[in-house]
Amino acid sequence: MITRQISIATPIFLLIFVIQESVISQFRLPGGGFSILLIFALTWAALSQPEVAAVIGFAAGIFMDLSQSASGPFGQWTLIMLLAGYAISYIGYGDDNIHANAIGIVFFVVVANFFVEVAYLVTGALLGVATGTFGQIVLTLLGMSIWALLVSPIMLPIFTRLHALIFDSRSAL
Amino acid sequence: MRNGGEGRARLLLVILIVTSLFLITLDLRGVKVIEGFKQGTQTVLSPFQRAGAVVLNPVKDFFSDVTHLGRTRSQIEKLEAENANLKIKLLNRKNADGQLKQLESILDLAGTAGYKIVNARVISHGSSQSFSQTITIDSGSNAGIKKNMTVLSQYGLAGVVKDVYPNSALIQLASDPAFKVGARIAGSQQIGILSGRGNRSASLQLLDNSTTVKVGDVLLARGSVANRPFVPGVPLGYVSQVDNSAGALAQTATIRYYTNFSILGVVAIVVGGPTSDPGDSLVPQKPQVTPIPTVTVTVTPSPTASN
Repeated sequence: MITRQISIATPIFLLIFVIQESVISQFRLPGGGFSILLIFALTWAALSQPEVAAVIGFAAGIFMDLSQSASGPFGQWTLIMLLAGYAISYIGYGDDNIHANAIGIVFFVVVANFFVEVAYLVTGALLGVATGTFGQIVLTLLGMSIWALLVSPIMLPIFTRLHALIFDSRSAL
Repeated sequence: MRNGGEGRARLLLVILIVTSLFLITLDLRGVKVIEGFKQGTQTVLSPFQRAGAVVLNPVKDFFSDVTHLGRTRSQIEKLEAENANLKIKLLNRKNADGQLKQLESILDLAGTAGYKIVNARVISHGSSQSFSQTITIDSGSNAGIKKNMTVLSQYGLAGVVKDVYPNSALIQLASDPAFKVGARIAGSQQIGILSGRGNRSASLQLLDNSTTVKVGDVLLARGSVANRPFVPGVPLGYVSQVDNSAGALAQTATIRYYTNFSILGVVAIVVGGPTSDPGDSLVPQKPQVTPIPTVTVTVTPSPTASN
């Protein structure tokens, strides 16, 4: 069962990573744009059990660390994403207001997206990564949250169906 | 896994956290395996990025254009005029023309200073998810590009080569918050350090407190030992605001870069520096005011018949 899940999930992560790096990154979007991989991982984490969500976060983090735009040390995104995946799932697990409600998941993903970026900033500051002026950071955080709010509802049906396909859950919205 | 698997789940979480911390430690200690892993990924990704750049070229500037549309009326009028002109002339060659224009300006800049350059197309803009400002170009070590080489745009400095792969390279833009370059003010030769801020403005910190800086002063790169990472004389930007804090140890100023980082299509990498310092020869020319010819009409009274 696990082998089947991993063998299907890995190419999906790879495909989304390639889309992020080859398509989304072509656009210089206002407000910092969005990361489809981040939204995807957070959506899946919100739909999964905590331990599965941690593995999803870990895998997404590895890919995000492999991105050329990652400015921090390799492993920073991995650590943040696995903790974020676990946390988002732990908070929302068993709560039907989130699982059975598309608006709940979108809200959850957008808030998580914001806090993940804040966590990246804080850990980046601890590791000595330059992140820009306060005003620029606030604008980028705001821009990314707005983009996440716009993109998440559009992508949610696809992401939840993929999740249902692999994890055989009833989470397709 | 929940039923009786609490211990196993906790163990899994601990293993993953330890693995992440292990990866961070390895990277911070400069282990080559991690670097090789990243290089391999970029080598695999670059054909996809190149394909994406080709396919999305006609539409990728749309969002950037929309963002800048309302800033100045003159810019809009200029863009509209250019757009109409291009539509009439070569509708399908819009992007090619833009890149050619950038390339011509870059060649002019490099030719004046005596830089030996390699041109490259931008195939990807880095995501801002990591609060960094980077681009990926379609030339790499096979074209003679090495790490820490100066990257030029049509107007001046664009950034520096951060990582090199066989057929692509990662450029750290001058707008990146971690970017720093030694600068001097054209004319007065005062020196300072220019730091990126995450957008088109940068902050300049002068090294000598007794000197002064004024709005409009032009900044040029000071240059590095053996011309890496920076060749001397490259135009950086101009002083847009002077910060006069009474208690400050050194005078600081806000700089506006000449390069518009959001519309970079073609860049040039300086693979060979000039034999001599070009000095202030690359300072952009101020626009010349063309006098408008006036027509003077002199009325001469016609002779009238007098009786």
